[in-house]
Amino acid sequence: MKKAIVYINQFFAGIGGEDKADHKPEIREGAIGGAAAIQAALKGIEVTHTVICGDNFMGSYREDAIAIISEMLEGKEFDVFFAGPAFRAGRYGVACGEISRAVTAKFGVPVFSSMNDENPGVEMFRKEMVIFEGGKSAAAMRGDAAKVAEYASRVIAGEPVGSAAEEGYFGRGKRHMVFDAEMKPAADRAVEMLLAKIAGKPFATELPIPKTDFVPIGAPIKDLSKATIAVINTGGIVPVDNPDRIQSASATRWGRYDMTGMERLKGGEFKTIHAGFDPMMADNNPNVILPLDALRQMEKEGKIGKLHEFFYSTVGTGTTQKEAARMASEMVPPIQEANVDGVLLVST
Amino acid sequence: MKLELGHFHVKEVTFGDFTRFENGVLTINKEEALAVVREDEHITEADLVIARPGEEKRIVPVKEAVEPRCRVNSKFDNYFPGVTGSDLYQVGEGRSHALKGCSVLAVGKHWGSFGDGLIDMSGEGAQWSYYSQLINVCLVADTDEEFERHEQQKKNHALRWAAHRLAEYLGRCVKDAEPEEVQTFDLPAVTKREQAVNELPSVVYVIQTMTQMEEEGYNDLAYGWDLNKSIPTYMHPNEVLDGSLIGGSFMPTSSKWATYDYQNCPTIKALYEQHGKTINFLGVITSNLNVALVQKERSALFVAQMAKSLGADSAIVAEQGYGNPDADFTACIVALEDAGVKTVGMTNECTGRDGRSQSLVSMDPKSDAIVSCGNVSELIDLPPMKEVIGELAALSRDGMSGGWEGDEILGPSVREDGSIIMENNAMFCGDQVMGWAQKTVREY
Repeated sequence: MKKAIVYINQFFAGIGGEDKADHKPEIREGAIGGAAAIQAALKGIEVTHTVICGDNFMGSYREDAIAIISEMLEGKEFDVFFAGPAFRAGRYGVACGEISRAVTAKFGVPVFSSMNDENPGVEMFRKEMVIFEGGKSAAAMRGDAAKVAEYASRVIAGEPVGSAAEEGYFGRGKRHMVFDAEMKPAADRAVEMLLAKIAGKPFATELPIPKTDFVPIGAPIKDLSKATIAVINTGGIVPVDNPDRIQSASATRWGRYDMTGMERLKGGEFKTIHAGFDPMMADNNPNVILPLDALRQMEKEGKIGKLHEFFYSTVGTGTTQKEAARMASEMVPPIQEANVDGVLLVST
Repeated sequence: MKLELGHFHVKEVTFGDFTRFENGVLTINKEEALAVVREDEHITEADLVIARPGEEKRIVPVKEAVEPRCRVNSKFDNYFPGVTGSDLYQVGEGRSHALKGCSVLAVGKHWGSFGDGLIDMSGEGAQWSYYSQLINVCLVADTDEEFERHEQQKKNHALRWAAHRLAEYLGRCVKDAEPEEVQTFDLPAVTKREQAVNELPSVVYVIQTMTQMEEEGYNDLAYGWDLNKSIPTYMHPNEVLDGSLIGGSFMPTSSKWATYDYQNCPTIKALYEQHGKTINFLGVITSNLNVALVQKERSALFVAQMAKSLGADSAIVAEQGYGNPDADFTACIVALEDAGVKTVGMTNECTGRDGRSQSLVSMDPKSDAIVSCGNVSELIDLPPMKEVIGELAALSRDGMSGGWEGDEILGPSVREDGSIIMENNAMFCGDQVMGWAQKTVREY
């Protein structure tokens, strides 16, 4: 009998809802709360422990939460790790992804989850783990848990498994060659696809072309010397205490910081929290990422009218397009209210 | 144009005093056959070895595959005009005979090159190459082509042309015999079709032949002409099936189309099958895969123009090769779609050993209907075989695409016990984009 450990949040452990979301990590023996649904569908695998953690605790103190849970798992024998199902619960989905990423890296076991396609955890973690497509709410618990448990049981038993589409999980972007003696030859598949395309009937391409979201380039600013310019960076420049707790990777949060009266950003007052490069240069001189010094010079020389008093910041590494688009849409209103004419978007 | 192809189903191949075909058995007079091979004085050593499906045999390095054929009731005796013999004439009309279920393989006795491949006749490896299910007459030979002995890119001229001559020689033994079955490929001129056929949606089949080398001797040929030095041209499908096109010696082999593939092109047969029922099959546009961007653009323009001029409603575009040719593939599909021609593409992918790389170098949302036949970089790990035909070391040593001398993680492609690890890139004509592929690529 192989062994599994399941991660669930405070709600599915029956501890409480939003008021208990700060619940600190704990581990209990057996399949507790929502973990029982996974246990029910496992074959040849026993859930020995359930890890419970409040969604806010994982969201706000991620590193601490992961360290505490890792210590709890230390020395425990387990072959597979489950997190969720998380349905459409955003914080729970992200928490499932975060703990799964940490557990598979530290303990080398396969990790599985289940989320609804609107859960932000899907886009953030689908590339690195198997996340089954789940329902919107806990009403789908039994079915969602069964799908992921049944699949994981086959993986652990070394039995054959199908592709993402065949099994029902979100594709991880790994495309592999498949031989199937029952498959129609490529010539017949091509002619069938052609006949469907000619007739305007649905067909399924075997090589989906990834959608590219082209953003049209804006019209030039007529008179830059009268324009108000704002600056946004995805290089993670923040006040040293990172007041908005922007994540170092896979960011979902952003902040804006007042630079009124500053000629340049000083090391020691600002730093980068971006985890995707060596921070030494940027910590010593944050202007290498967010060029306040150069922009003030341009302001003095009259090349630009003036600089908008706030700079906006988030982290680009690992951040999904979907989250980036959401954050941008949140940054736009205050920038528009300040009558900004142009935005300089700087990276790392 | 009407072509009758007489089929003789080969169940067994053996050696004997006379080259003849009787009761499903092809008997080969080895000395006589090798004399045909040695008509080229550059052949220094040659032998024939038979490899049958199910046998524990591994063939490497394979350079070319040809189906034995001959012409019947024709004043011409050379089967591949412009390539074998001296007569140049138009093919695709009249009658040809074919020894089915077998192929002639050109196999290096020692030396491999970039575009050469491997075939396993049994076991797991047999699922990856079409040629594992044929009885292969392996011409295992060496040559005095010293100028390319240690080159990664080889023209392999002596060996490949010897295979064409040998296929002709074997084919001739059924010249006067009555075939067990006759397949008829009859496609009238485009303007001379029945009203009912003209009203069906019309289709052109676009083949992108391999023409990436500037120097002659490596590229695919049409009637002996290097297609690098051509613009896309219209061909009757029967010409493709009847010996006008010759496979090249450059493309990583899983992406390659051998002469055998052209002779038997399954997509042409599938389009014939639908002709007059669901479609009006207009014919073949033979395009190329030259390397410069302007050449790619020019070819795409010509393909689209020809499709429009022919009145094609739709097209199937097949790409030989991957990487640089992906730009031709996508450009051609986009040009056709822009011309209002509904298009399906057939290709393979290069997604990397971990499957995470972008499938094609160039992609466009307009290529929304693609049949995928394989991943060139898929790792294939195979146990030893009892017998090797050719030289196994070539896979590691000679720069065959898909093989390597050493790898920090995977070790050498050829291990001491005779087991191998390689990329699909080295599987002889493995991706079968001409239409056999019972393979695809799926996301995990």
